[in-house]
Amino acid sequence: MRRVNLLAWFVFMLGMIYFFLPLFSTFEFSLRMKKGVYSFEAYRVAFQDPGFYYNFGSSLLWAALTILCSILLVVPTAYWVHWRLPKARPIVEFVTLMPFVIPAVVLTFGLIRLYGGPPLILTATPIPLIAGYVVLSLPYMYRSVDAGLRAIDIRTLTEAALSLGAGWGTIITQVILPNIRVAILSGVFLTFAIVMGEYVFASLLGWPAFAYYLEEIGAMRAYTPQALSLVSFGITWSMMMLIQWIGRGTRGAEQVAAAH
Amino acid sequence: MAFLEIRNLSKYFGKTVAVKDFSLEIEKGELVSLLGPSGCGKTTTLRVVAGFEVPSEGQVIIDGKDMTFTPPNQRPVGMVFQAYALFPNMTVAGNIGFGLKIAKKSKEEIEQRVREMLELIHMSGFENRYPHQLSGGQQQRVALARALALRPQVLLLDEPLSALDAKIRVALRAEIRSIQQELGITTVYVTHDQEEALSISDRVVVMNNGRIEQVGTPFQIYNFPQTEFVAQFVGTLNAVIAEVMDVKEGVLRFDGQQVYTADKLEGFRSGDRIMIAIRPERLSFANEGRKANILKGTVKNITFLGSIVRIQVKLGENIFFMDTFNNPYLALPRVGDLTEITCSKEAVLVLQRRS
Repeated sequence: MRRVNLLAWFVFMLGMIYFFLPLFSTFEFSLRMKKGVYSFEAYRVAFQDPGFYYNFGSSLLWAALTILCSILLVVPTAYWVHWRLPKARPIVEFVTLMPFVIPAVVLTFGLIRLYGGPPLILTATPIPLIAGYVVLSLPYMYRSVDAGLRAIDIRTLTEAALSLGAGWGTIITQVILPNIRVAILSGVFLTFAIVMGEYVFASLLGWPAFAYYLEEIGAMRAYTPQALSLVSFGITWSMMMLIQWIGRGTRGAEQVAAAH
Repeated sequence: MAFLEIRNLSKYFGKTVAVKDFSLEIEKGELVSLLGPSGCGKTTTLRVVAGFEVPSEGQVIIDGKDMTFTPPNQRPVGMVFQAYALFPNMTVAGNIGFGLKIAKKSKEEIEQRVREMLELIHMSGFENRYPHQLSGGQQQRVALARALALRPQVLLLDEPLSALDAKIRVALRAEIRSIQQELGITTVYVTHDQEEALSISDRVVVMNNGRIEQVGTPFQIYNFPQTEFVAQFVGTLNAVIAEVMDVKEGVLRFDGQQVYTADKLEGFRSGDRIMIAIRPERLSFANEGRKANILKGTVKNITFLGSIVRIQVKLGENIFFMDTFNNPYLALPRVGDLTEITCSKEAVLVLQRRS
């Protein structure tokens, strides 16, 4: 028993080292900007650059728009599939997995070809960028929402609400959304993390983005990109922890339904 | 004129026939149960009345108005589901008041009605609890209150007690019946549990393969089944194939034994093979008082079922069940004993002709 415990601890520690050592090295390196002394100089330089705020702000905007579009697209689709078209679920699931198969570069050039010429020229607008991000985040958003919908009895809840006189707007906003809130939040944070770290779409479509900025300054400076990488990592991790906290801190409807 | 009328209803799912030519009239304040095995079309019929399914053929008329194509949220119908279907994000008060809120009732009116409903289901003080804080029985009572809060003209209950344990089921079905009678609400109750249907209904509709087998009071359904299916499905039954010996005198024979029936055998001829049935409780030991029919057999098994003792008697090829009330002084035969059992002519039901 004791031997098993020791082995488990050894494997665990090995995993922790594998995970944290690169982070620690990056952090340690980012503190070496001033010769001979550890300092947060790289962070100060990074945060003083107007380009950081411009690109970071742009990514935040893209993330917000992507999240909005994803929710508007995915929630009603997933709901309808559960409620009326359960047989279509495998097809929808397959479609949502396409971003794992089609490389982002191929997708971007497809968007440029499609929307770069008549009849619909959209490449001058951020619409293809947002559309690309929506597609990219589709597996995560759809699967989160789908898991939430699976946990509650959508059909019966919808019928119960209908029998009480509710219309579709009321059903979606007062019955469905509150009961899959945690699932949607989970999809939202994953989408946020993906958009904040996405490079290919922004660089090829020519829009400012945090990851693109990171790559750009990485080519010119040594310490600042390390600092910004850690900031980016911190944001992503914060999002993940927020999902965990929200999921644990509230007794979600999913848990309630599952308990029955 | 009937309050709820279902006319020539048929429902097909692709090539599958779920309900075929179903017609029923239900009077105001009546509780009618749709009883049948899984897949017999009872829930589909209920869902058509609720508006969740559009019939392939036929009409649904409530209080003289054709509701066949009226959307479910515009029908004067309340529904209780097997899975409770309480909104997990809302409190008990929120659930009961949901329909009233949609109907744009004032806050005071909603509060007043929620209080009334909670009193009706004996759950005052539970307003602020969430569904996950309630037992199954409590949840179903809240679901009933929620369906009744809007004062619907018709109440539909889709196997509302199936998910509950036996004791709560019995208590809650009595409560449902009492509330239904108190409010005088027209109710359609779907169940596959014959005891439930027989105990709470004014009338029972027995369904099989999407069709009505028989409509009648629980007494009629149990005592005078009109088809083999009803006889087999409702209650325990000793059913055997017998040969008609004398049409005029009502004489039949099976396993070399002769029995008399009070049912008319008109239309049959001597030598016809027909299905007859005898309820276990209509049989008794011949030494307790001989009746028109005496059957000889061997005791195969004796089972205690609490208030009832069920005795299996082998009569030639067939094994008959005989139920007798349990009492401590009951003199039971032993397994393997030869015995005589008896029943009246009226106990022998003619079910179906077999050429």
